[in-house]
Amino acid sequence: MIKHIRLFFQGALLSYKALFRWLRPVTYLASKIIMPLNQILFFTFLGMYASGQQNASFYIIGNAVQMAAISGIYGVTMSIGGDRWEGTLPYLFGTPSNRLVLFFGRGFFHILDGFLGVWIGLFLGVILLGLDLSAANFPALLLIILVTTFSTSGLGLLLGCLSLITRNVMFVNNTVYFLLLIFAGANVPIETLPSWMRSISYALPLTRGISTTRAAVAGETGSVIMPVLSQEFLIGLGYMLLGFILFRWFEQAAKRRGTLEAM
Amino acid sequence: MKQRKFRTALGVIFSTFEMTLRQNVIDSFILFTILVQPILIALLAIWMLRDQAANHAIFIVIGSGMTGLWSSLLFVSGNSINVERWIGTLESLVASPSPLPWVILGKNLAHVTQSLVSMILSYFLAALIFNLELDIVNPGVFIGSLMLTIVAFVCFGAIIAPIFVMNPGVQGFQNAMEFPVYILCGFLFPIAMLPEWTTPLSYALSPYWAARALHGTSSGALDLPEVLFSWLMLVLFSVGSALLSAFLFRVMLRKARREATLGLE
Repeated sequence: MIKHIRLFFQGALLSYKALFRWLRPVTYLASKIIMPLNQILFFTFLGMYASGQQNASFYIIGNAVQMAAISGIYGVTMSIGGDRWEGTLPYLFGTPSNRLVLFFGRGFFHILDGFLGVWIGLFLGVILLGLDLSAANFPALLLIILVTTFSTSGLGLLLGCLSLITRNVMFVNNTVYFLLLIFAGANVPIETLPSWMRSISYALPLTRGISTTRAAVAGETGSVIMPVLSQEFLIGLGYMLLGFILFRWFEQAAKRRGTLEAM
Repeated sequence: MKQRKFRTALGVIFSTFEMTLRQNVIDSFILFTILVQPILIALLAIWMLRDQAANHAIFIVIGSGMTGLWSSLLFVSGNSINVERWIGTLESLVASPSPLPWVILGKNLAHVTQSLVSMILSYFLAALIFNLELDIVNPGVFIGSLMLTIVAFVCFGAIIAPIFVMNPGVQGFQNAMEFPVYILCGFLFPIAMLPEWTTPLSYALSPYWAARALHGTSSGALDLPEVLFSWLMLVLFSVGSALLSAFLFRVMLRKARREATLGLE
């Protein structure tokens, strides 16, 4: 058991360090703070242009929570895909390590990273755009953001497996990230979407996370938030398990076909 | 002699242009930047402005196309020298008799021209899927604005590429530079919404004048003197960028040869 716990944390830390250690601190901060801030500003101004300044908080909250997808999708995917690009995948698959621990470990630090990213987004929203958190239910907000980054990382783990079988995973990542901007309700109220789009929205992680964050900021209690939040958690778990099945399938198929290092 | 040199330059620019177009159509990152992202932004903007979409359709089409132009300039043209370094062809390119700036000019021209496809696709998306009316009030002046926009963007790209080569630290901010220009240049909302202190920053960016000219001529919001002023600014920025880029290329190549770092990152 202790062996598994150590593998989980060591693998998580090393994969996170491998992804970012080579960056200069300024560059790291640029991608963690400046880029997300500008994205929040752009969509908030566009939203205010569309529906007036009184709706600014709708866009600020939506886009701040969307920050979970930066770590959840890009970070997690690159942590998994990194093993293939850097040539360490055959060694990884050659070890007797528990695959479940190894796989979920890849997402761990990105969940924490995304959690921090969303809070930074909300903080910048308060400082720069006057987001009002005076009525917010903070304990609920903490839980919602943690669950949302977890569920978004679930999608990231699934997409990360694609990086083991395709070279064009960044195309997939970028497209999914922008589709989330439309479908997850960060910028468009879900109720205004056509029913077929709403069905997609509710099958995605982040959608319920964004709506419950808005509810928590408005001061709603746990009894309203928890049922929706538990759905968000289950959706994230579903994506993770699907990702793990794909991960195992890829390992077996690649070993059988001898395509472990094929690019 | 001068005529022959000019013809050779055109030949180099054209062949680089053609080769870059061929390479780009199979590059998924470039396809995302110049096609998918602007279309998704257009889709999002149409939905966000749904109550006013009928009045804003052409504004959205042009604005989202401009986002594609800028992203392509930043990520694709910005890396037009670096990419040669990554694939190991930069030394041969510099050693060849064709001057490097001509090659980069041809590449940038291909990137910018290709980015315009996003504007055309957004046009069809808005017209065919959303049934929005898309009228360009002054088509002739609009085409003029488009031509000057292409020139201004190509020249701007010729500054960014050597800067990224000489200053990897600046390139580290590449991702962070995408949205500020969308915001400051009024691609999808007027800059009047921004705090007043940002206005000089907008005026200092050629994409702002391009967006002003294109939005103004398509909607008819600008009168002729205002359009001509935007054109003048685009010409001034293009000339300034071309001169600055010629200087930067000289510095970059001299530095790379002296320090023997041409192929090194």
